Amino acid sequence: MIPVPSPAALLAALVVAGTGAATAQVRAASAPDGGEHWSFQRLPAAVPLPAATADATHPIDRFVRARLRELGIASAPPADPATLLRRAHLTLTGLPPDLADLDAFLREPSPAAFERAVDALLASPRHAEHMASYWLDAARYADTYGYQSDVHREVWPWRDWVIRAFADNLPYDRFVTWQLAGDLLPDATTETRLATCFNRLHRQTNEGGSVEEEFRVDYVADRVNTFGTAFLGLTVECARCHDHKFDPLSQRDYYRLFAFFDDIDESGLYSHFTDAVPTPVLDLPTPEQQQALAAATTRVAAAEAALAAWDAQVGAATAAAFEGWLEQEVPPVLEPPVGSFSFEELGPKGELANGGSSQAAGRADAGAARAPGRVGNALELDGETALTFPGVADFTRDDPFTIALWLRPAERHERAVVWHRSRAWTDAGSRGYELLLEEGRPSAALIHFWPGDAIRVRAAEPLPVGSWSHVAVSYDGSGRAAGLRIWVDGQRAPVEIVRDHLVRTIQGGGANALTIGARFRDRGLRGGTVDELQVFDRELAEPEVAELAAPGSWAALWRRRHAGGDARRQLALVFTASRPERTRLVAELNAARRARSGVVDAIRAIMTMAELPEPRTAHVLLRGRYDAPGEPVEPGTPAALPPLPVGERVDRLALARWLTAPDHPLTARVAVNRIWAMHFGRGLVATPEDFGCQGARPEYPDLLDWLARWFVDSGWDQRALHRLILTSATWQQSSACDAAARSRDPANELLARGPRFRLRAEVIRDSALFVGGALVEQIGGPPVRPWQPDGLWREKSGATYVRTPGEASRRRSLYTYWKRTSAPPGMTLLDANERDVCVVRRESTTTPLQTLLLWNDPQYVDAAQALATRALREGGPDTTARVTLMFRLVTSHHPDTAELAMLTAAWDTERSAFAATPTGATALLAAGDLPIPADLDPLDLATATALASTLLSLSAPQTLR
Amino acid sequence: MEPSRRDFLGSTATSLAAGALGTPRLVGEPAPEHHRPRARALIWLFMSGGPSQLETFDPKPTLDARHGEDLPDSVRRGQRLTAMSANQAHLPLARSVFRFAQHGRCGAWVSELLPWTARIVDDLCIVRSVHTQAINHDPAITFVQTGAELAGRPSIGAWLDYGLGTRNPDLPSYCVLVTQGKGGQPIYSRLWGSGFLPSRHQGVQLRGGADPVLYLDDPPGVDRDRRRRLLDTARALQQHEFGLDADPAIAERIAQQELAYRMQRSVPEVADLASEPESTFSLYGDDARRPGTFAANCLLARRLVERGVRCVQLFHRGWDQHGDLPAGIRTQCQETDRASAALVLDLKRRGLLDDTLVVWGGEFGRTAYCQGRLTGTAYGRDHHPRCFTVWLAGGGVRTGHVHGETCEFGYDVVRDPVHVHDLQATVLHLLGIDHERLTFLFQGRRFRLTDVHGEVVRPLLA
Repeated sequence: MIPVPSPAALLAALVVAGTGAATAQVRAASAPDGGEHWSFQRLPAAVPLPAATADATHPIDRFVRARLRELGIASAPPADPATLLRRAHLTLTGLPPDLADLDAFLREPSPAAFERAVDALLASPRHAEHMASYWLDAARYADTYGYQSDVHREVWPWRDWVIRAFADNLPYDRFVTWQLAGDLLPDATTETRLATCFNRLHRQTNEGGSVEEEFRVDYVADRVNTFGTAFLGLTVECARCHDHKFDPLSQRDYYRLFAFFDDIDESGLYSHFTDAVPTPVLDLPTPEQQQALAAATTRVAAAEAALAAWDAQVGAATAAAFEGWLEQEVPPVLEPPVGSFSFEELGPKGELANGGSSQAAGRADAGAARAPGRVGNALELDGETALTFPGVADFTRDDPFTIALWLRPAERHERAVVWHRSRAWTDAGSRGYELLLEEGRPSAALIHFWPGDAIRVRAAEPLPVGSWSHVAVSYDGSGRAAGLRIWVDGQRAPVEIVRDHLVRTIQGGGANALTIGARFRDRGLRGGTVDELQVFDRELAEPEVAELAAPGSWAALWRRRHAGGDARRQLALVFTASRPERTRLVAELNAARRARSGVVDAIRAIMTMAELPEPRTAHVLLRGRYDAPGEPVEPGTPAALPPLPVGERVDRLALARWLTAPDHPLTARVAVNRIWAMHFGRGLVATPEDFGCQGARPEYPDLLDWLARWFVDSGWDQRALHRLILTSATWQQSSACDAAARSRDPANELLARGPRFRLRAEVIRDSALFVGGALVEQIGGPPVRPWQPDGLWREKSGATYVRTPGEASRRRSLYTYWKRTSAPPGMTLLDANERDVCVVRRESTTTPLQTLLLWNDPQYVDAAQALATRALREGGPDTTARVTLMFRLVTSHHPDTAELAMLTAAWDTERSAFAATPTGATALLAAGDLPIPADLDPLDLATATALASTLLSLSAPQTLR
Repeated sequence: MEPSRRDFLGSTATSLAAGALGTPRLVGEPAPEHHRPRARALIWLFMSGGPSQLETFDPKPTLDARHGEDLPDSVRRGQRLTAMSANQAHLPLARSVFRFAQHGRCGAWVSELLPWTARIVDDLCIVRSVHTQAINHDPAITFVQTGAELAGRPSIGAWLDYGLGTRNPDLPSYCVLVTQGKGGQPIYSRLWGSGFLPSRHQGVQLRGGADPVLYLDDPPGVDRDRRRRLLDTARALQQHEFGLDADPAIAERIAQQELAYRMQRSVPEVADLASEPESTFSLYGDDARRPGTFAANCLLARRLVERGVRCVQLFHRGWDQHGDLPAGIRTQCQETDRASAALVLDLKRRGLLDDTLVVWGGEFGRTAYCQGRLTGTAYGRDHHPRCFTVWLAGGGVRTGHVHGETCEFGYDVVRDPVHVHDLQATVLHLLGIDHERLTFLFQGRRFRLTDVHGEVVRPLLA
């Protein structure tokens, strides 16, 4: 018997006994000395190593064998060389050894040869891919957003970053730091920023009608939970609604962690109507794009400089012309608007006449009511009625424009849409431009995706309620908040800049008409009256806006044209703006900006972390509810764990530094345990997701501590740790055991034998393709769509899965397209999780559905056919040689006499049966993608395929022994 | 660490001795329940999208009288609405265009949309006072299925399989049937997932057409004889290996391969409706002849429980009538009404209804007010979590009973509220399980379907 019951076992026992005192008992078991729970104690600076003995020189063996000696249990003998090499290949690369590797090692099965093999495996790209595949589970990586609509999102560049990180053997402390806070490093690079996409891989929703804040809070919570599970090995999420029931984590601790992760400019909803990448984003230009962008930016700068230079010289160069201009008796005619709608008449279908140069008519919904206007008639709106004006105002972010109207709000709106060109509010990330009333104050914006990619200015003062105001918005095409102006009654309104970060297009989403009064699922201008809409495709000068607000003011200004002072300044604005040379420079600048925008809009963007200029204030959320904020909290770490270093800015970077401190109680223990589990199928702590009081207690706490200390001291060198584990006699033991040993220690907690476990879904599939040489080894890139039964996407959501035949169907499984709401069945049937949330341990089950998958999925038929082809080619004409080759490739072992007899008998039987009905052979060979080689006998090939399929379905190739 | 509820219930299913070669792990002995079950099987007809209670089972004369008036603030009391209608300038009350009448001896009100259901009201227990907390589909449907709005918890069918095990080793214990060709709000496999329970408890989707279970069909060129021969070879190889190294995982693998082989026969047999007599189709309607329809799935559900399947869930999408409700709901009802009633009648005629609990309902109800503009007979209703109607039949349920009452606006429950957790507790109770005692230790906590809530609603029991 295992002397000390684990808390889990104890709890199970208590549950069976039906006592309600389980909790207290477990707590007592967790800290028998009444002291701090073991995993909350700082990692010791040094951990004593038991003395070496004849059979235990390796550090791991010293711990294990000392304990086994105490218990009077013998360790198992070493595994045979083939088993050993197979293990190393499988756990380090996720693929079995090929025959050449196997034969080479069997010729010289020395420890030195084994170590060379291990080093070569660690250095291979296959190792990086295999390690990445584990990390994708922890990172809840998927190629779609999840929730019900589950739209595609492009995050694979982050997955490739993970592969690169493992290929470079990035030290674990940096691996963690980059992902948590790579954006905040003093020497941040695109690579370190890309790593932070880790924090954005949670599910996101675009479901219509969702409350934005509710989901934003869920996203932040997911970041915290993932941080807790992946790095701390703690169930911090238990403290979201109340103090943790078992571990010393208060609800306040939870929201102090929350405060680290909520300072990004994000929305709780991604856009349904556009494919905007939810902000904040990182640009990932190709080298060509980078060059093109630099060139385009230079051209914009040159055009801006040319215009500025012209404006600066305007006094000198055009002084004479200006004086001449001023000599005119009659004030020059101001350029007319492109759209001018006086709302005097409503056509039978709601047509609204356009007196502007474009002549494109507008249209009013049925609910618009005629009302006395500021000038003649106006239209009164009810909050759901819209007036639309196609063809007059489909501006880009590079186009200067001005939109003006008379407006009489009926109330002081908390929020109301005055006008906009956009498909929707949150459902489109507000893509477009808009004028709102917020707390009664005019608020103008150009938006790619609200809030992180937009400019917005908001007037300091609210509009008066119940009386007319003239409201104009002018924009200079610069993409900057400074170029966006609000004018009230002809005067420039003082504004606050709410956002000043517009990068990408403001077009798209399926709406290109200027619209007044209402928007899809937004709050309309209920009870408001509008009159005299004017749209200009240029930025108006001050006197021009004034003329709109007070007709006749231009003539009055003209009369004072010789008065000097401010009148002269204002006139100069109009004069300057109307010069053809300047118009040309403005047009050139516009063209340069459009050219740059064309480059920018094509650049790949990926979700990332980037701090807001001003952090948000986080609150304890009572009972975890997004709409029940309690006391405000500062970012901080749980009180039961060491404090943050003093003197540093308290942000994610500080959190990462805290986490990777050399004596952090959890970080190294958790990481070492996870790596241990890759090789033993089970962690030293059997619950890698829970190092808390309810988690399993390690059988070898000192070994865990020693390894963790060694790992930190090695510079967090993950490869070195793999190597250390694989070179131990403990890992190299045979995993065979008798019934007595198995019943004494079914889970092999004592490590008196070698590892044995069902392989991961990815390893099973990849290995099946690999043994026949069908696996296409190409690293990275967009996800691929291999075999999957028809209709799985369609029946759930109407989306269509289109397989990519050929090589793309035979890539390693970590590249398989991962749709959260319909995860690849070939993976989930073999216990892959659905990637909705962070998972660091998979279940391992055996079901009939797994058998059906291995028998019948065309993917595995292809794999079998590839193996068969190889057997015929390399095995020659002899049946024994052929089946031996297949058996060895699949199991890494020679078949024994009995096995060989079974296989050759099966060969003969199937060969005869196929010969009797050759159509069966051709049908089987046509099931997958792979062609039938013309030089091979189809009957032989079909026979070998049937046998290969049978071999692949056995327990042996799916198990690490 | 899988502190097993099975230990708790005294099952022997998890211990697979070395000598148990060929004994499939999934079989075990059916685990003893907490108390005498009233039902052995559950069929849940999930109406995904949120059917309107105001057009089906819960008539409101006040809405007729006050049609077009704004929902009084005194009724709404500032409660949150979805962002689809929260910003509407008005929330006009909308009457139903459908006529209601009382039916059966019990006199339950049913609308003209459900003529077939109306005929079986005396076999039903209509609960008009179910309420939930989520207002969007994903969290709400997840809540009904798993007892939590967040992803990651086991679904009710997975809990049942975990708790009760299977009654027929040759068929999946928890089957999911999705109506094919439907639009509307998407659904997703997580809804029948096993969450943190071992994945063998997850629902298995049975699909219309050639491969009723994924990968069921052998590849071309592998007929039954060849499969048997190849399986015999695999079995011999693995038994040989087991002889050298008595790893119980090998025994388990052999058992599961045999089970897979048997399923290749048993699943097509159950999915093949051609053997049904003509009288079946005159009961379910001609739709039942087309695989993948709701009617065919109802019939399939009956065949599954007949063969011992523990839990069958049907999902029928398309109940999300935000606009143009009258036309939309009419279609939905035409697709489901007859077959739902037929299923109850069919089970009853075969003597299976006493042992089978049937549940009909969605994830939430719909608002008394109109979403968007109220014009003539076209209107829509937004999501409404505060009340909706679910009916139950068979398996120990009180028949001919209408439970609970909503206010005159159909907005709030005013009598006998039944929270989704209460409904779940009641369903488990009927299947012989104490919802507070069916637990699984995960992340240090004992989780259960009803979280820390839920009470068995005794008045619903026969």
